[in-house]
Amino acid sequence: MRKKLDTAWTYGLLVIVAFIFFFPCLWLILASFSKSGSIYSFEGFFPKSYSLATFHKLFTDTKMYNYPRWFLNTLFVASGSCILGTFLTILTAYTMSRFQFKARKPMMKTTMVLGMFPSFMGMTAVYLLMTQFGLINHLWGLILIYAGGAPMGYLTQKGFFDTIPRAIDEAAKIDGATNLQIFLQINLPLAKPMIVYTALTSFTWPWSDFVLPKLLLKEKDLYTVAVGLMSLDETEFARFAAGSVFIALPIVILYFCLVKNMVDGIAQGAVKG
Amino acid sequence: MKKRMIAMLMLGCMVLTAAGCGSKSSAKESTTKGTGAAVFNGKLESDVTIRVLENDTAISKGYFKELIDAFNEAYKDKGIKAVDANMDQYLDLANDGPYGYGPDVLYQANDVIMKYAQGKHILPLPVEDFDCYDQIPETAWKAYQTKKDGKTYTCGVPVNVQAPQLYYRKDLLPKDWESTWDKDGDKVPDMVQTWKSMYAFSTERHKENAKTYGYMKSLNDMYFSSGFLFSYGGYIFGKENTDPSDIGFAAGDAVKGAEVLYQLASAMNEDCIDDTITTNAYSKLADGTYFATISTPDVYSTFLGELEKEYEAKGDSKDAAEKKAKENLVMTTLPALPKSGSLTDQSDETIDSKSMGGVNGYAISSYTKAPNACLEFVKFATDYKMIKKRAEMLGIAPAREDTAKEIGGTSEEIYKNLDKGNIILMPSITEVSQIWTPGKTFFIDLAKDVFRSDDKKKYKDEAAMKQGLTDMCDQIREAITTLQ
Repeated sequence: MRKKLDTAWTYGLLVIVAFIFFFPCLWLILASFSKSGSIYSFEGFFPKSYSLATFHKLFTDTKMYNYPRWFLNTLFVASGSCILGTFLTILTAYTMSRFQFKARKPMMKTTMVLGMFPSFMGMTAVYLLMTQFGLINHLWGLILIYAGGAPMGYLTQKGFFDTIPRAIDEAAKIDGATNLQIFLQINLPLAKPMIVYTALTSFTWPWSDFVLPKLLLKEKDLYTVAVGLMSLDETEFARFAAGSVFIALPIVILYFCLVKNMVDGIAQGAVKG
Repeated sequence: MKKRMIAMLMLGCMVLTAAGCGSKSSAKESTTKGTGAAVFNGKLESDVTIRVLENDTAISKGYFKELIDAFNEAYKDKGIKAVDANMDQYLDLANDGPYGYGPDVLYQANDVIMKYAQGKHILPLPVEDFDCYDQIPETAWKAYQTKKDGKTYTCGVPVNVQAPQLYYRKDLLPKDWESTWDKDGDKVPDMVQTWKSMYAFSTERHKENAKTYGYMKSLNDMYFSSGFLFSYGGYIFGKENTDPSDIGFAAGDAVKGAEVLYQLASAMNEDCIDDTITTNAYSKLADGTYFATISTPDVYSTFLGELEKEYEAKGDSKDAAEKKAKENLVMTTLPALPKSGSLTDQSDETIDSKSMGGVNGYAISSYTKAPNACLEFVKFATDYKMIKKRAEMLGIAPAREDTAKEIGGTSEEIYKNLDKGNIILMPSITEVSQIWTPGKTFFIDLAKDVFRSDDKKKYKDEAAMKQGLTDMCDQIREAITTLQ
């Protein structure tokens, strides 16, 4: 009886906490389907009537606010950063895990210390550097910054590679495999959950980031969704809600498809090697 | 070894720091600023594309496309092409301009342009050569003037006057308004002619139906609320808004203006304390919750659009809704204020309402590589034909006398008010940026006081209100001293 009560109490508490966190999302989703399009015509918390008109407008009325273009820009930046960032992070982590060289420890310490500083601290310097390289108003500029910064968080991936026994590498070496072959044919296939985890985190950050695109993108046609939504007029709340809901969709789908790999990746990367 | 490494690292840091303190970078040198009107030598640059930053309403309503199409057609033989700068209308020319990411021509309010002008990010213009020069009142030109070494430079060309206007719905008037709300028999409802009648009507409308209101406006908005103070003798800065050491929001009988605001707030709800009404006025006027509000002329089309949507939702066809909305939505000048400062006393003596205003216009960036082509564009965009088209398409109040007269109605009234001095233009000195926060704080407190219980009220009498205004002036002075 006591166990049942305990379970009921735990579940009850979890449901309440989940509701508290889910309620704002639910409100935004319902607001995006509001027929009137105005937050002030709601009855209490929720819209009076619902329609898909705002979503239709979001993709067809592009004269002032070109959401489809913003969406594609975001997708390009996030995908580019994801591919390049994952590649660099995995390489960094593998190098730090498998190879012994003189500057290894100081480099690890330096990256750890640098990682403690918030990224926006260097924004002014980033802006000035990008003006010198002529990368303002270029989506590639964003990709380079995101991908360049990604290896700073290599520690989880290094932790994962540390868990793969070195004996496998040594056996392969005896059989005549090169370092590249060991990496590509032995360690990389074993690191699938970690690659998925790294790719997902490298994708989500640029997908929702606001500060960097706002700083580097001046032309409306180059905006990412986060910057574009911020530029909406105050009377465009429904469009804002619909845009926010739609931008969340890919990430939610991706998360549900890859959640198993992600959990495996985090769990195995957390094991101390 | 370790010590040597640290010493080398420190030396490296010092060298880099010292390099940072060196002469200006080549990037800055390559973006040499113009030297005032001297850069306009009349020689049109050819094969150039000038980027023009317009305001969002002009773009969304299609006016901007018409303007650049017409300009490009007229100048296609000269190799000049104008394009949309495709940037946010709230740009940062001071930071983006020097690196070549700003627009060549920009359309902004006078205070924004003059802020840039003080940082030399805007070119002074040879405005005497413009065909609109004699058509625009001196007050409007003054909003774009700055003095340097005894010389006066004009940094922008006024296009439209921005001043608060009263928006109301004709179809929400009482059916018998001609017999009950038109004492002077001039066929204009009293409530849109005097604030006293507006207050009486607002109270009555709310009493009849607790969900509806008469006049509604966020009081926290200094731009709109300060006009009540100016009407009774208040002012922003002394010496025609050029002396920031003299702050005049409490001058004269300005306290009467604060009293009027206090009374008006008592016929509203608590939404008047913050931005709620400013944001929801479009939809609330359309659904009939509010009868009237005040806003600037450039948002006329937004009010109209919301009203059309409402009529369509109620079953009208698109054309019928459009026609009905145009008939029923009225934009007019502000009602007259009671001379006594009381909305409930018996006296019918009134004074003109004054308001804070601005002049939006075109300016040319100092960082443009084609100043003469830009000048041609500004001349083209401010000529009679284009300004008339702009006024027709966007419902703005032109700064040009000839266009204002031809369009008539509210546009002409706004022009007259500007000429009469009833529109106090935002000062063109940087210190003006320090008036907003203290002003907002005072007006929020004033609006809150209406909804406080009697024992907690702060502004119980005129003296307390006067003290509130004086405190606001002191805060502005302190902000100017410490932050400028």
